[in-house]
Amino acid sequence: MKNFKIFISVFILSSVFFNFSPLAQGRDKADDLVKEILNAKSNQELYATFEAAKEVYFKENKYNDFVEFLKSLSQKKKTLASFVNYYTGLSRYQQLKFLEEKQDWDEYFSQGNNYRDQLCSSLEQSIKSTATQDKINLYSRLILWQFHEDQQDAFAEQALSELMSQAQGYAKSASDLNPVKEVADKLLYYGKQAKSRELYKVYIDKIVSANIKDGDLENMAEQFLKEGNLELAETVYDVYIERILESLPKEKSLPLLIELAKLFAYKDEGIKDVFYAQKLFKKIEETGGKDAFDEELTYLAGFNSEKAKEFNQTKDYYIVLLNRFPQTKYADEVSYKTGIIFTYVLRDLQKGKEYFENLAQKEVVSPQVISSLYQLGLLSQWEGALDKAKEYYGKLIEKAKSDFSAASPNESLAQAKERLKEIEGSNPLDYNLKIFLDMSLEEGYANFNMSKVDLKSALYRPPKDKEININSTAYPPQSGCMQVVLEYLWSGDLGKTKPTSQDASFTTSYSQAGTKLISLVVTTPSGIIDRSIDLVDIE
Amino acid sequence: MKSSTNNTQSHQDTRTPGHQWKTGVLVSWCLGVLVFLIILGVAKPKPKVYIRTLKNKHYQLLVENKPYIIKGVCYNPIPIGQNCEYDWWSDSDKPWLVDGNLMKDMGINTVRIYQTGDKPESVKEVIRDLYGKFGIRTILGHWIGFWEYPCPMYGEKNFEERIKKEVLDMVNLYKDEPGLLCWILGNENNYSCLGHINPWTTDEIEKEPDPQKRKNMRGEIYYSFINDLAKEIHKIDPNHPVALGNGELIMLDVAKQFAPDVDLIACIIYRGKTFGNLFNSLKATFDKPLLISEFGADAYDAFNKKEYQQMQAFFLESQWRQIYENLANNKKGAGNCIGGTMFEWTDEWWKHNPGDPEGWKVHDTESSWSNGSYYFDIQAPKNMNMNEEWFGIVALSPDEKEFGLNKRIPRMAYYVIRDFWKNPKSKFQTPKLKSP
Repeated sequence: MKNFKIFISVFILSSVFFNFSPLAQGRDKADDLVKEILNAKSNQELYATFEAAKEVYFKENKYNDFVEFLKSLSQKKKTLASFVNYYTGLSRYQQLKFLEEKQDWDEYFSQGNNYRDQLCSSLEQSIKSTATQDKINLYSRLILWQFHEDQQDAFAEQALSELMSQAQGYAKSASDLNPVKEVADKLLYYGKQAKSRELYKVYIDKIVSANIKDGDLENMAEQFLKEGNLELAETVYDVYIERILESLPKEKSLPLLIELAKLFAYKDEGIKDVFYAQKLFKKIEETGGKDAFDEELTYLAGFNSEKAKEFNQTKDYYIVLLNRFPQTKYADEVSYKTGIIFTYVLRDLQKGKEYFENLAQKEVVSPQVISSLYQLGLLSQWEGALDKAKEYYGKLIEKAKSDFSAASPNESLAQAKERLKEIEGSNPLDYNLKIFLDMSLEEGYANFNMSKVDLKSALYRPPKDKEININSTAYPPQSGCMQVVLEYLWSGDLGKTKPTSQDASFTTSYSQAGTKLISLVVTTPSGIIDRSIDLVDIE
Repeated sequence: MKSSTNNTQSHQDTRTPGHQWKTGVLVSWCLGVLVFLIILGVAKPKPKVYIRTLKNKHYQLLVENKPYIIKGVCYNPIPIGQNCEYDWWSDSDKPWLVDGNLMKDMGINTVRIYQTGDKPESVKEVIRDLYGKFGIRTILGHWIGFWEYPCPMYGEKNFEERIKKEVLDMVNLYKDEPGLLCWILGNENNYSCLGHINPWTTDEIEKEPDPQKRKNMRGEIYYSFINDLAKEIHKIDPNHPVALGNGELIMLDVAKQFAPDVDLIACIIYRGKTFGNLFNSLKATFDKPLLISEFGADAYDAFNKKEYQQMQAFFLESQWRQIYENLANNKKGAGNCIGGTMFEWTDEWWKHNPGDPEGWKVHDTESSWSNGSYYFDIQAPKNMNMNEEWFGIVALSPDEKEFGLNKRIPRMAYYVIRDFWKNPKSKFQTPKLKSP
C-alpha cells in the first residue's frame, strides 16, 4: 500500500513536470501549428501559418527541428509538398548562414554538403510543383539565387536571370504584388541596383494602372524616401514626373520638377542623390529651356555636377551662371572653380589663367581672389617664369595684408611665402606639387584622366575649424598576391594637417573661409597610377 | 594412296593456283603494309596525358586514357630556418617520402612544383618516389625568368634564348618520367606586363606614350614568347600538355591572340571562398581548359592575432566545391575545369623576411598583403590580412623532429578536404565522368 502511494505520487509529479516542461510546451506548440496548417483553407492561410511556424523555429535557430516538423507535415498531407519544400530550402539556407556566422565549424563541415543538397533539391522541387502566379515559386527562386549569389558561384548569373523572368511573369498574373517588391528590396540589398529598379518599375507600373492619384503617388514616393529606400522613391518619382509633364502645363510642372531637383541635389546633410538630381536638371532644361534656371538653380546644378565629379558639365553651368548673372554672389567662387577645372582637369592652361587673371584684378578681395593670385604665381613658377611668379606672390602678400585682414593666417599667404622661399633659395618647386602640375599640364601625361584615383571629402561645406575627413581610393592594376606599395603625394590646400605619403586619408580642418583645392597623385615604385582633385568650400 | 593421289593432285593443283597464291600473298602483303602505314599515319597512339573536348564542349583530362581530376597541392618543402635557396631535392632526409605518405592518405594525386632543382638525378628521384610509392604525379614548372634581377627582359633576344634553353633542357630531362603530368610556363608573369610588378620594357615600348598600348605591347612580346616555347615543347614531348601560368584572367585577351598553342591555362586565383565567374569568363575570353594552379587561404587570423585553422578549412572547402561544380559533365557548371593545386603543402617560414636569416626561424605573424575576399580578418590594421607564412595544409613543428624533418602537423583543412574528396556527393556539385 505504501509502495502504491509512492508510485502514485511519483506518477502525478512526473506528469505535472512533463506537461509544464519546455519540452512539453514545445511539443504542444508544434501540435498547435500542425493543426493550424492542416486546417488552413486557402493558400493565403497556409502561407500565413507556415510563416508563423517558421518564426517560432527560426527565432531560436532550431533549423533541424523545423525540417523535422516539415517532414512530419508532408507525411500527414501530401498536398503541402510545395510549402514543405520551400520552407525546407529556406531553413537550410538560413542554417548554413547561421553556422558560418556563429563559426560553428563542426556541423558546418560535417553536414554542410548535405544541407546544400537539400536546399537545392527542395527548392527545385518547390519550383517544379508550383505555377508562375504562385508566390512560393517566386520565393523559391529568390532563395536559390541568394544561395548562389552568397557563394558567388558560376550559377548565380543564371539563377538571377530565372528569378527576374519569374518575377516579371508573376507580376503579370498575380494580384498581390508585394512579393515583387520584396524581391526588388532583396536585390537592392545585394547591390543589384539596376535589377531592383527594373522590378520596382514593374511594381509601380502595376500600382499606377490601378488609377492612383498624382498626390497619392507623390505621398508614396515621400514615404519610400522616409523609409530610406531611395531607389524605390526615385522609381515612383519617375512615374510621377512623366504624369505631371503630360498632364500639367509647363508653368505648373516646372516648379514641381525644380522642387524635386533641389530635394535630390547635393547637400552635406540629408537626402541626396547627385546622379538622380543631374537627371532632373536635364529634364528641367528639356522642359523649360535655359530660362527655367535662375541664378540659384544654375549654381545648384553646377555645384551638384561638381560633387558628381562631372567637371566638364560643372564648368558649363558655371560659365552660364557668370554670363547670365554677372553680379551673382557666387561669381568669385565659380570663377575660381572654373579656372581650376580648365587648368587641372581639362589641361587648358591659358583658359584657366584667364579666369584667375580676371579674379586677381578684382578690387574687392575675397578668399578666391587671393587663391587666384596664388594659382597664377604657382603656374608661372612651374613654367619657369620666376620673376612673374614673384610678382604674383608679391601682389598676393600685399593684398592679403592690406585688403584681406583676417584674425587667423591665410593659407594661400602661407603657401605663397613658401613658394617665394623656394624661388629665392633657387630651390625646386615642392615635389608633390610639381608632380601634380606635371601630370595635369604636360602632354606626356595626357592619358591620365583621373579615373583611377577617387578623392572624397566627408563634408563639402563645413564651417571653419570643423574637422573633416579626406579619403582617397586608388585603383591600381591587379597584382595578385604581390602587394603594390602605393604612395600618396598630397598637395594643395591641406589645412592644419600634413598627410604623409603613406596616408590614403587624413583628417583636417581649415581656419579660413574660401574654396580649398586638394590635389593628389598616387604612385607606385614603378610608375604613376593617376591624379585627382577635390574642392571643399569652407563657410 | 589417297595421300599419294592427293599429293599428285596437290602438286598439279598448285601450279596454276600456286601462281595465283603467290600473287594473292603479294597483294595481301601490300595491302597489309598499306593498312599498317595508314594506321601509323592516321591513328597514332594517344599521348599519355591529354585533354579531350567532349561533345558538350567540356574539357576532360585523360591520363593513360582514364579521366583524371587534378587533386593537387603546390609543393615547396622548405624547412624552418632555411629560405627558397635551400636544395630540398637533395635533402638526405627525403621530405617527399613523409609528405607523400600524408598526401596519399589525404587523397592528393598531384603536386605542383614551381621550378626544378639543379640536380637532375635528385629531381628524378623525387618524381619517381612520389609516383612509385604513392601514385602522386608531378606538374613541373618554370618561372620564365620572372624573378631575375633587376627584371625579366622579355623581348631581349639573349634573355629569351637562355630561358628557352633552360625550359627545353627541363623538358628533355624529365619528359620520360612516368610520374610527370604536365608543364606550366610562368606563374603570375603577366602582372609584369601591367608595369607595376617586376616591370620591364623595350626601346619600342618606351617610345609609346599610351599606357594601354604599352601594356598590350608587353603582352604581345610575353605571350608570343610563351607560344614559341609551347610549340617547341610539343615537338620534343607530345605526351604532356603545356599550360600557361597566369595571374587571374588578366591579359588573357592578348594571350588568345599570341599564345594559341598552349594546351590549357593555369590560373592563380585568390578570391576568398569563391572563384566567382572565373570559369565562364575564361570561356568567353580564351576558351581553354582550366587548371586552378594556385588558390587557398592562410590559417592565421590577422585581426584576432591567432592561428585559425577553421577559417582556412572553410575557404578551401568552398573553393574545392566550386572546382568540382565546374568539372566536365556537370550539367550546370562551365565544364572547363580539370582540377586544382592548392597553395600549399607546408608553411614556409622564410617568406616574410626573405633577406633576414634570423627571420627564417620565426613564424612571422605580420601580414604582407591585403585581400578583402578573405573577410574573417579583413578588419586587421590597414586591412592587411594575408599571412604568407601560414598557407600550409600542414604546419611545421619548430620543436619536434620526425624522420629528421620538422614534424608535419596536419591542419583542419587536411581533414576537411580529405573528407570532401572521399565524398563530394552533392548532386549539383559532382559531375559524373562519362565517355563522350
